[in-house]
Order: sequence, then C-alpha cells, then structure tokens
Amino acid sequence: MRSSHLFAALTAVLLTSAAAQAEVTVLGWPGGPEETALRDAANLYNAKEDVADEDKVELIFFNRDGFWDKLQTDLAAGGGEFDLNLLATYAIGRYAPFMEPVELPDSAVDVFGEKVLATMQFEGKQYGVPTDLSLHFMYYRTDLIEQLLSDADWQARYSEIAQERLGKELKPKPPAEWTWDDYQATALFFTKAVNPDSPVRYGTVLQMKNLLFNMMVWHSTARSEGGDWMDADGNITVDSPAYRKGLELYKALYDAGASPKDSLSYEFAEANAAFGSGQVATMLQWNAAAADLNDPEKTPAVGGKVGTVPPPAGIAGRFTHIHGLGLGLNKSAQNKAGALKFLEWLATPEAMQAYAAGGGTPALSADVLAPVAEQRPDLTQLGDYAGQYGFVMTGATSAGALSVYELQAENFTGYWAGQKSLDEALAATAQGMADLLKK
Amino acid sequence: MQSRHLRDGRILLAPLTIFLLAMLGLPLVVDLIYSVSRVEFRTILSPEFVGLANYRSALTSESYWQAAWFSLRFGLACAVAQLLLGLFLAIFLAPLIDRRPWLLAFLMLPMMVAPALVGLMYRLILHEFVGVVPWFMFTYFGDSPSFLGPDNAFRTLVVVEVLQWTPFALLILYSAYAAIPKDVREAASIDGAGPWQRLWRIDLPLMAPVLGATFFIRFIDSFRVFDNVYTLTGAGAGGATTTMSIWVYEAFFKSGDIGRAVAASMLLLIAAWVVLSIVHRLSERRA
Repeated sequence: MRSSHLFAALTAVLLTSAAAQAEVTVLGWPGGPEETALRDAANLYNAKEDVADEDKVELIFFNRDGFWDKLQTDLAAGGGEFDLNLLATYAIGRYAPFMEPVELPDSAVDVFGEKVLATMQFEGKQYGVPTDLSLHFMYYRTDLIEQLLSDADWQARYSEIAQERLGKELKPKPPAEWTWDDYQATALFFTKAVNPDSPVRYGTVLQMKNLLFNMMVWHSTARSEGGDWMDADGNITVDSPAYRKGLELYKALYDAGASPKDSLSYEFAEANAAFGSGQVATMLQWNAAAADLNDPEKTPAVGGKVGTVPPPAGIAGRFTHIHGLGLGLNKSAQNKAGALKFLEWLATPEAMQAYAAGGGTPALSADVLAPVAEQRPDLTQLGDYAGQYGFVMTGATSAGALSVYELQAENFTGYWAGQKSLDEALAATAQGMADLLKK
Repeated sequence: MQSRHLRDGRILLAPLTIFLLAMLGLPLVVDLIYSVSRVEFRTILSPEFVGLANYRSALTSESYWQAAWFSLRFGLACAVAQLLLGLFLAIFLAPLIDRRPWLLAFLMLPMMVAPALVGLMYRLILHEFVGVVPWFMFTYFGDSPSFLGPDNAFRTLVVVEVLQWTPFALLILYSAYAAIPKDVREAASIDGAGPWQRLWRIDLPLMAPVLGATFFIRFIDSFRVFDNVYTLTGAGAGGATTTMSIWVYEAFFKSGDIGRAVAASMLLLIAAWVVLSIVHRLSERRA
C-alpha cells in the first residue's frame, strides 16, 4: 500500500517535471513596463488554439540588480533553465557565444524596419526579436521656455550670460532648434548660482555617476560633433575634438553649478527625482521617463509642463544613442522548437501591438503602430526619432562593448570630478579601448 | 580503547571534513587554477595556463593599488571610529542597560538591516531633492553640501558604515565591561581612584584583549566592504570609491577578466593570512 502510494507520487513528480521541461521558458526584464507587456503578450500567445500545450510560454523573472551578471553566469554555465532570455544591443557580443542565431520571417522587416532589427544583430546574424527600444529625449519645462521665448527682460539676461560665459552672441530658441551651445546657455540662464533671478535652482541635471548607462546618455554630445569609437580601419578615435567638446560641455555645466552638486553620483532615478521636484529646467534623459514625468498625478510639480525634443545638434547633426532590448535563443535551451515558434510570433504585428498596448516600448513601423497609436502616442515619437537620429557607436555591439562603456565611465567621470586632466582621461580611454576591442 | 576513540573521532569529523573540502577546498583549487590561467566567460571550461601573468597584471595595475589604499583607509577609519564610539556608548549606557537589558536589542537594530538596503536608504536620505537631511540643511542654512560628491564621498561612506556597525562594537564591549567584577572597581574607589583613573587603570586594561579583537573584526569587515558602498556611490567618480571587493567584482563581471579577478582575490587571501599570523603570534606572546 505504502509502496504503491510512493510509486504514484514519483510518477506524478516525473510527469510534472517532464511537462515543465516541454514548456517554453522565457527569462524577461523584471519589474517594469517590459514585464507587464511581456505578460500580456504571453497570455495572448498561450490563449491561441494552435499553440500546443508543450509550447505554452512560461515567464520567469529575477531581480534587476546585477541582472546581466547573473544572466552571464547562467549562460556560461550552460544552464537550460530558460529557453529564451533577455538580450541588449550593448551586450550581444558578450552573450553571442552562448546563444543561437535565429531566422525571423521576412515580414519582420515590415514590422520593425532594418535599423531596429539591427539592434539585435551581431556579426551579421540576427540574435533576437527587438521588443523595446531606448533612446534619449531632451526634456524641458514648457512653462519656463515659453516665458524665456516671450519675455524681453529674460531674453536680454540670457544674451548677457551667453556672452559672458560662452563668449558668443546667442538668443533664446525653441528647444527643437537647439545646438549644444543653446542648451548650455539655457541651462546657465536657469541656474541660480549664475542667474539669481532664475525661478528654479538648476538649469539642468546631468547623470555623471561612474556607470556605463550614463556614458550612453552622454554619447549623443560626442556623436553630434562627429565622434565615434573607431574608424573604418579599426583605429580608436576617441581622442578627438568631438569627444573633447562633449566632455568639456559636461564639466563646464557641472563646475558652473548648473547641475546639482551630487550629479557625480546621479543616474536615471536621481535625475528624474531632481527634474520632478520642479527645481530643474532641462534634462537629457532616457525616453522611459517621459510618461511618469508628465503625469500630474505621479509628478505634481512638473506634470503637464514637460516637453520633449531630440537631443541638441552639433556640427555633424542631431543624434540620439539607441539600443534595443529583445529576446533571443539560449544555446542550451530545452525546447528550441517551441522557443523559435514564440520568437517568430513575437515578430508579428499582432504580438507587437499587444506588447505596445501592455506598456512596452517597441519601435514599430507606422502601419503596424497605427491600431495602438492613439493609446500610445509616445511610440510614434520613438519610432520617428530612432529612424531619424538613432546611432550605435562603431564597435558598440562587440564582445568588449560593455567593458568599453565601463572604461569610459571611469575615465570620463574622473575628468569631470577633477581627478584627471582631459588629456589623461582620453589617453587612458584610447589605450584601454585598443586592448578591449582588439580581443 | 584509544584506537576506538580515534576511529570514532574520525567518523564524527568526517561529515564536516567532507563538507569543508567540497565547499571550500574545491573552489580554492579551482581558484588557484584560474588565477594562473587566461580565462573569460567564453573559455570558463578551457582555461589557458599563463603562469603568474594575472598576479603581475593585478600588482602593476594603478587601479588595484588605488582600491587597496581606499580599502585600507576606509577599514582603519571605520574600525577606529566604531571602537571609540562603541566604547563610549558601552560605558555611558551601561547603567541604563543594566536596568533595562531589552534596550540592547533595540540598539542592535541597525546591524540587522542588509548593508545594500542601508546604502539605498542613504541614497534617498541624502538626495538633494527628496532627502530629509538636505531638506533640513536648505531650511536652516540655505544650502546643502554634496554628500556623495568627490570631496565628501569618503567621509559620508565612513559615517554610514559607522552608524550601521557601531552596535556590533557596543554589544561586544558592553559584555566585556559588564564582565569586570564590581568589587575591583569598588576597591579602586576605596583606594581613592577617580572615574578617569578607574577607566585608564582598571577598565581599559581589563578590556584590552576584547578591544583588540573588536578592532580587528571591524577592520576586516570594513576593509572588505562591498554592498553599501556599491549601492551608494558605485566605484565612484574616476574610481575614487573603488574598494578591493568592488575591484574584484568589476574585473570579474564587468571586464570578464576572470583570471585577473581571481588572482587579486588570492593576493587578498595571502595578505589576510599574513596579518592573521602576525596577530596570532602577538597574542601568543602576550599570553
């Protein structure tokens, strides 16, 4: 009797574990709109009649802190606990050895466009479906800028500050027409330490913490002046006038007190808190902050008074760093066939519309976006900006890309903090990059 | 009879020995292999022997020594501050704790909080726009310093560490203080010794071994700090707040240079062993 119970229990356990292995397990980006959107899309997929039980999708999430390090360890160990996993443009090169390239249907180009699909490519191969796109907006307070553009006294003071601090004759312009000089002059004008009559404490808030993501935000300055990581021959080109100008801009703003004193420890959340307090006039920030900052319920001090435009222009034009988050196939996946079916479905208009409606930020072609455009007007802007201004630095999807970002973060923040000269910071960066990118 | 005792002893020790060999011995052997190999995540199962190159690379790295210097300063500053503050509180609060021992549990609360959470809490508390400390500074002084900026980051980190871990020093030192027989102090008082004399000539000499042990434990703990520094300032502007643990973590995960990171860890292990040996010899000589 006892042994028959034991046998039945063992059989049940074995059957359950076999069923669990047959499912498609997806490791997603936890704790944000991406998780909500992926849950919605997965529910829609699982409810479809033509999806077999063994191909139903099960989602797993773990903490965001150290996510990429944990993922790297799991992949390197050959873990098969998940079939599909999160992938980011800047980490593809590092994870590619542990993943399998995928072939998406030709229609995927119509859904995403070539440029967005390329955010999930490494060495000419597609490694995933791009589910979310990140880029940068120049955020500004519409009430303050409107007054600046209409108040003669403010305009006169603005021109004085521009002449005094930048040595240039400048007049206020709408943010969509800003160059980096206009941005700097505006930031200085709205800084109490420079202009005691400013209605806010700081003209801008810079994210200057020694963190790789902050380098991505800063890169738009260098790229708009023509900067890149390397040239066509593979020579490192960071010691250039473009990089110097971008780095000097941040240092000048920080030293003038135009950004909070603790900016050297600021990242995404701190910068949002500063801007959301109503004491900051402008901010270069990730697109993900837009909805909350302009919501009067979530951010009462500035909600309804936040404008967004592409980052300011340099001599080479107007640019914004872009990178994609997506889902790719684990080389040690237990259910590759089922996982590929889900990936192919994800690259369809039906899946991406559900994902967008669920709160995700996919960059979609106009036709695909149209049914959800009213619900998600921000995605129209996202697609436009990605297509017009998006860039990825040469080498920024290579295996050493993450390390390059880290290296730049350490040296450039050292310069901003006054611990290194600009020459020292650029020389150390160029030398380190040469080692990292030749691997 | 003796051989049976020996056999029983071996049998009883076997599970622990096997456990230690599996959990400590095996990783140590793997670490030793990795420390003399070129190994990245891609080649984690096929390390390539490079001799002592990783050790040389770590020892000739400017950032390694910068991290070592930061950790040493941080460890010393925190250990001294915690020892002095813990000693003061132990003696000052002793009459109160004697009457209400439950207060000790209340005073221990800070060290019950996970260090990473403490770091995140202080990120909020010290934030210029949402933090309570800058709010008071602006309200009463019209300005607030940059708590986490390059000029003040070290001091802020030390204060956060001291606030969290002084209760540990208080607990140990209060126990040592309470263990001194009261009649010794009474005898000193009858002989005319004042409070300062009793402290210098009775309490501190009798507490000396515990003071030394507390200092040593707190120094080791602060030297290898990771969590709260990483969540508060990360590696710091230009690597200014990179501790040894953060250096190893970044070499391992961020740079993917596993051999170098493990070699640096082995160097730390050797340094710790040398310090421990010196302390052990000193304590033996004293005994």
